[in-house]
Amino acid sequence: MSGSSRRGFLREIAAAAARRIPDQPPRGDEPMPNPVPLLSDAELERYSRQLVLPEWNELAQLVVRDASVLVIGAGALGSPVASYLAGAGVGRLGIVDSDVVEVSNLHRQHLHFTPDLGVPKVESAAAKLRFLNPEILVETYQVRVDPTNAAGLVEGQDLVVDCSDSFATRYAVNAACCAAGIELVEGGVAGWSGLVMAVQPGRTACYRCAFPAEPVDALTCAQLGVLGPAAGVIGSLQALEALKLLTGTGTPLTGAFLNVDLATAEFVRVHATRRADCPDCAAL
Amino acid sequence: MTWVRTKVELERLESGETLEVRVPPGEALENVPRSAREAGHAVAVEGTLIRIVRR
Repeated sequence: MSGSSRRGFLREIAAAAARRIPDQPPRGDEPMPNPVPLLSDAELERYSRQLVLPEWNELAQLVVRDASVLVIGAGALGSPVASYLAGAGVGRLGIVDSDVVEVSNLHRQHLHFTPDLGVPKVESAAAKLRFLNPEILVETYQVRVDPTNAAGLVEGQDLVVDCSDSFATRYAVNAACCAAGIELVEGGVAGWSGLVMAVQPGRTACYRCAFPAEPVDALTCAQLGVLGPAAGVIGSLQALEALKLLTGTGTPLTGAFLNVDLATAEFVRVHATRRADCPDCAAL
Repeated sequence: MTWVRTKVELERLESGETLEVRVPPGEALENVPRSAREAGHAVAVEGTLIRIVRR
């Protein structure tokens, strides 16, 4: 079952449960059975500030609670993405990163603190996320994603958020998500700028459609530099897109990518169309 | 929290069904009817009893 159809199935189950009507009307003085509280009192309180939103409701919260999301990268983008998704109540959160925490990470990777130096980023991140929300399951994978393991990592996920720092990884993740029909939120940041893109494989342009080839002069964050808040903005946008895709609320950033220049505070939405020759999604 | 609990209870009802909420005098007695009306539900208040008909 694909991610989207699984979520649709969960939505139907939750909706049916929310409307639950007893098969047999109560007889005589038999008490009317109480509806099952779908969200506990503790959950109502924890998520009250999003439940109060007109666009959000118990059903959206249940879909989020039942969701499995894989966050690839536990660094500058992965920190805000994972912490917002954990806070929002994503029930099963996978974190993938092969690196250990270095002192040069700390200005922008807010899930890691100075005492974490030398600790695998996935373990450092998972510890904070479990403090943040003990009601969710956090799984860790200390590996570097490449074309040989991407399919296995994304298998069974409802959604993938790619917070990696290389074109090679993004292409591997995009290909795996397209092949498995798993929705994907891409993101990247360097210097003062970044981009965000949501992908619904087979329906909207994928990352490879928008960026068919790696730029020949692509520089890394270590070469270009990056400000912590710039990564925070891009990661926050990715988390927002993930929640929109999971719940069907809002309008997802699909069929386009958002180009963000934080030096001038300019946000430009760039249209992206599916390519007939895309090696990742043309056959879908 | 009173409005959040009320909102979720309303979501569990069918359109046209009524939810009765009794709240103590004070902030919730002002906020819950206002928020319910803003969400498009029909609201009647009698003392501390709020009757909300789901839209």
